[in-house]
Amino acid sequence: MSSTATKPPGSQLSDALARDRLGVAAIVFFMMSAAAPLTVVAGVVPTGLAVTGLTGIAIAFLAVALVLAIFSVGYVAMARHIANAGAFYAYIAQGLGRPIGVGASWVALLSYNMFQVASYGGFGAIAQPLFLDWFGVDAPWWGIALIAWALVAILGVRDVAVNGKVLATLLVAEIVLTLVFAFAEIFTDGFTPSTAALDPGTLVGAGSGALLVMAVTGFVGFEQSVVFSEESRDPRRTVPRATYIAVAMIAVIYAFASWAMISAAGDNVVQRAGEEGPELFFNLAAVPLGSAALHLGHILFLTSLIAAMISFHNIIARYMFSLGREGVLPRAFGRTVPGTGAPKNGSLAQSAVGLIVIVAYAVFGWDPLVQLFFWGGTGGGLGVLLLVTITSFAVIGYFARKPEGEDVLHRVVAPLISSVALLVMSYLAIDNIAGLLGVEPGSTPAIVVPLSFAVLLAGGILWALYLRSARPQIYNGIGLGSRSATTTGGFAAALNETESR
Amino acid sequence: MASPPQLPPADDLYLTAHDTIRGKSLLSPATLGLGLGAALLGELMLWRRVDLVETELVVIDERPTGDAATTAVLEQLRREAGQHGVRNWLSYLSTGIATDLVERRLARPGLIKRVEKRGLLSTKVSFVPADSMTAGWPATRIRTKVSRDEPLDVADLLLAGLILATGLDQHVLATLNARDRAGLFEQFRRLFPAMLQQLVAQAEAAVGDAVMARRA
Repeated sequence: MSSTATKPPGSQLSDALARDRLGVAAIVFFMMSAAAPLTVVAGVVPTGLAVTGLTGIAIAFLAVALVLAIFSVGYVAMARHIANAGAFYAYIAQGLGRPIGVGASWVALLSYNMFQVASYGGFGAIAQPLFLDWFGVDAPWWGIALIAWALVAILGVRDVAVNGKVLATLLVAEIVLTLVFAFAEIFTDGFTPSTAALDPGTLVGAGSGALLVMAVTGFVGFEQSVVFSEESRDPRRTVPRATYIAVAMIAVIYAFASWAMISAAGDNVVQRAGEEGPELFFNLAAVPLGSAALHLGHILFLTSLIAAMISFHNIIARYMFSLGREGVLPRAFGRTVPGTGAPKNGSLAQSAVGLIVIVAYAVFGWDPLVQLFFWGGTGGGLGVLLLVTITSFAVIGYFARKPEGEDVLHRVVAPLISSVALLVMSYLAIDNIAGLLGVEPGSTPAIVVPLSFAVLLAGGILWALYLRSARPQIYNGIGLGSRSATTTGGFAAALNETESR
Repeated sequence: MASPPQLPPADDLYLTAHDTIRGKSLLSPATLGLGLGAALLGELMLWRRVDLVETELVVIDERPTGDAATTAVLEQLRREAGQHGVRNWLSYLSTGIATDLVERRLARPGLIKRVEKRGLLSTKVSFVPADSMTAGWPATRIRTKVSRDEPLDVADLLLAGLILATGLDQHVLATLNARDRAGLFEQFRRLFPAMLQQLVAQAEAAVGDAVMARRA
């Protein structure tokens, strides 16, 4: 292990490398900003209430947090043993075989892209009435979405990251505002605490799968903590601690704020959510706090969405870069702009997807809030749930073959519990897909969403089998990450040329 | 007209990685540092001072090389022998140490010149090639030899390998056609020692890691 604590003192190399290492707080910040708290509480939750009519979301957040925390025990343990730890497919390739790993990498790419396009739809739909109110500009939602898209595309291809301090300030402001609004809702006259939002019975009743997927959607980004395994001060402690802290904090904030909102809205919460949409959370808090708070909330809502868009776009571009380097995607994606290190082709590809989706929704007149923001977000959430489930089994498979260095709790007990729980959740999610999307069972969206994951999984498996017979050198490097030195960058490709023809 | 002399691979890589007129780097500081770090380690292998065994650097001869830059690296390798893998050494050298050593080595005979630009708040120090012909020569030499089907020596193969590993080929080898490219790749496989192949592959992997972690 490359733990700095075990190195003899006075090593210049260790000292120099230790200076840049990350602590718990830095990693927690990163995970929470990918989770975008205000977008979930004010955006996903009310839309979900309106679409599904289910009110048990607060307890669902807590239940999902518990399962993800148990899952993380084995997940962060395995991260210590493998390279390329940021990507689910690396775990799956090494735990369950490379073909399923490649399939999973394609599923992940679809899921992440669904989140990205969902954020464009959400931004357009939410900003449109605000722009009319603030500036008197009556722009169509897709016009505003295209502006956001252009901003993300330009920053993405130049690889401009949102400044860490700006991001941290926005995140803290967002969390404080969410909590203040939630408390304001509680102290409003006539507030009656809701038991429905916290009823564990909803987790086994009809529609439970839909609730669970909505809750998972809120946690997406938690899996990124392990990216920093190699960069952290002490890989054995820093990353696990950061993961548990972030999952717990996200769960408490989400559960509390959504419980406060549902309680404050009273018995007709589903009807109000349908009428007011993402305004519900703000409207309820504006009763005691006044309109200045309302505007502040709206501004932070939009800035948090933009920050989330930019960081998610970068995650996708880098993900495509790592797939390109391993030969799972065309090699062109494995190239960067030399002067900046920007993974340009991945960024351009993501922007192309975003543009096509926005234009398609504009042309066909589909609803940006429900059919793009909510369907995209929860569709992506379903994809991530499936990936987490497969990864949980991969952890068991990996430690069954390589049990060295981890105790029974980390490699058997926790992964077994989380695998069973996640399998049940995945089953319920797919079973409830029509309820989640708010459509008739058997209608097109209820079939297309799960089917597209199945098709990509199968396609990836077939591609891996093709690589195994046609390009064994590339196949052997799948999931090993850039540490394996068998990646398909320019030089390694030169060495492998004969095998890859 | 006589060609400029062939410099050590790290110097040639430095010149290739910078604009021949203004001296602006074509690579990000992290990528440049990884490339130059690998080049210095490669020079030590060519001096038969260090071996790469699996992922460990092993000092096989402690005598100074007669060159300040490589001797400084050798001295550190000797002092902390067996404690860190080659990837940690590359990360360490890429923090500015390799770039600094190579800049000093090039500045001593006047191949690059120190330029100070006084800004509003601070003075920016940069290096500019003394002669753009010399600065452009390494890349030209590789392109010419490859397109004439002439074999490159091991030092130039190291340089060409690191040009690919750092992505510099998009700037300086873009004009090679498919046949020349295949010829160069063939040379890597047949004429480039396995240990150096491993070193360059590790450098390339490190460049990729830097991109993933947003250090590049």
